[in-house]
Amino acid sequence: MKSIVQVSVAILVVCALLFYGVSSLEKSSATSSGGSITVYNWGEYIDPELLEQFEKETNINVVYETFDSNEAMMTKIEQGGTSYDVAIPSEYAIEKMKENDLLIPIDHEKIPNLKNIDPYFLDLPFDPGNEFSIPYFWGTVGIAFNPTLLEGQTFESWDDLWDPSLKQEVIIVDGAREVIGMGLNSLGYSLNSRDVAELREATDKLKTLGPNIKAVIGDEIVEMMRREEAAVALTWSGQAADMMFVNENIDFSVPEEGSNLWFDNMVIPKTSSNIDGAHAFINFMLDAETAAQNTEYVGYSTPNQAAVELMDPEVTGDERFYPPEELRERLEVYENLGLEMLGIYNELFLEFKMDMEN
Amino acid sequence: MGKLSKPARVYLAFVFFVLYAPIFYLIFYSFNSGGTMSSFEGFTWEHYAAVFNDTRLIIILLNTIIVALLSSLISTAIGVLGAIGIVFLRNRKMRNAVLSLNNILIVSPDVIIGASFLILFTMVGVKLGFASVLISHIAFSIPIVVIMVLPKLQEMSFSLIDAAADLGASKRDILTRVIIPYIKPGIFAGFFLALTYSLDDFAVTFFVTGNGFSTLSVEIYSMARAGITLTINALSALIFIVTLGLVVGYYFFNQRARTIGTGGQ
Repeated sequence: MKSIVQVSVAILVVCALLFYGVSSLEKSSATSSGGSITVYNWGEYIDPELLEQFEKETNINVVYETFDSNEAMMTKIEQGGTSYDVAIPSEYAIEKMKENDLLIPIDHEKIPNLKNIDPYFLDLPFDPGNEFSIPYFWGTVGIAFNPTLLEGQTFESWDDLWDPSLKQEVIIVDGAREVIGMGLNSLGYSLNSRDVAELREATDKLKTLGPNIKAVIGDEIVEMMRREEAAVALTWSGQAADMMFVNENIDFSVPEEGSNLWFDNMVIPKTSSNIDGAHAFINFMLDAETAAQNTEYVGYSTPNQAAVELMDPEVTGDERFYPPEELRERLEVYENLGLEMLGIYNELFLEFKMDMEN
Repeated sequence: MGKLSKPARVYLAFVFFVLYAPIFYLIFYSFNSGGTMSSFEGFTWEHYAAVFNDTRLIIILLNTIIVALLSSLISTAIGVLGAIGIVFLRNRKMRNAVLSLNNILIVSPDVIIGASFLILFTMVGVKLGFASVLISHIAFSIPIVVIMVLPKLQEMSFSLIDAAADLGASKRDILTRVIIPYIKPGIFAGFFLALTYSLDDFAVTFFVTGNGFSTLSVEIYSMARAGITLTINALSALIFIVTLGLVVGYYFFNQRARTIGTGGQ
């Protein structure tokens, strides 16, 4: 009994010491007097130095938390319990959050740095007039491939994926809109098509891709491509950038027929308790120098025109991640198709996956 | 070890290799100057320096340890009393029912427990943060402690208690001088199991963290999209070494205590 009491007391003492350590660490890092904001972002999606810089400039303390999927983030915001002031969802999630009344409109007068954003990335179908969201990073859907494992193939057209020499070499991302969209694009249709005949035609064409497909998976694509277990993957440019960071052999291309354009935007959730602080943070992130530094750290494509001008032209001139005007014109942002149409997309995608089994 | 045949020894070595290889692989790359885990370029301490420079990461680590220690301490106290209560339940049906309820909590998926806690906390109006994480960790550790302590209690002869009572021990004496010393190994086993459960729990913790309070498992998992940095490797290596030190220290301490206490039995 004595030893149990001793151990318990020792644990309590250790906890007290650790508590003291945490509170003194928090004190040394907090310079707050202008209140605090809670930022909810993807993991490793911001340069931590910028948070310190923001705290110094504005005296607003930043509490920073991370999430790993749009769905997880929405659940936490919907349930409340934490007063998130800024969150960074993807475009379809923004649409859903708007529908569920989870967002606060953004006061554009408080964000003068909005002028830095390339107008091309403003006023998009998922948020007309940028009433609720401000661009953070963007990218495309395209083909990541490893030329060292292929015989000099290039992927300028979606049709190149159908090449008979690619038997069992192609991985595709497990997303209905991405895959059906690819089918539609390869036929020259819009990837927001609501025409069932076009959709059927696209699915029929996709089914003939069956023999070339190695797997239909999610985030594991990055690791498989890094380790050269597959030569070709249909994936997002952000993931491709991750692969290329490790494996220099990998290349990325956005086929000329067109493709999807994706966004991660900053929003202010309904749970916000410091709306002024949230605006200050968004404005800070749009500052040219801040955005340039952040882009260099994260490695995705920035929508910030002023930042692009500050950055290394070798990076921003890379047409794989900053596509030129004429290609951009063929890129489309996903429109909200409505529940019924989305059901048809999912149904066709399922049909395509089932057909592959045979 | 000397009694084992050669194939058995080889097999044992293989098992331990499989168990430890991933850990050493991870530690090996924590010294990689290349910045990723795919090719080793050169030796560097920079990732260790990064751990100590990252105040946020250190705060999260300390929080994780505080929650683990406190929650396992409290859940051990509650669990031991619970186990004693279950053993002394007269009604057999009742005892089985309570035990089954305990077991259901062990096998039910963490996601369900986490989501339930999230809903409960937001309904009651508890702010998510330290308290909510601590409470849920205590809650999911209690059934584990009960399961660890029960066998020790069941193996204890009840005549010990009768004898103590005959010799004039009060109820309190029986508890602190007979029962608890007897089940001590079970109590420590329960405590350490609760500690590891709390340290590596992700699913429950994910739902109930908030307001800037986070634990290591949640933090590492959310790096999945943009890639986990080698700083995490360095941190894991440090944790592994500290754990190793604690285990070795405990072993020597135990050895010495035994030699002194019983004359080297």
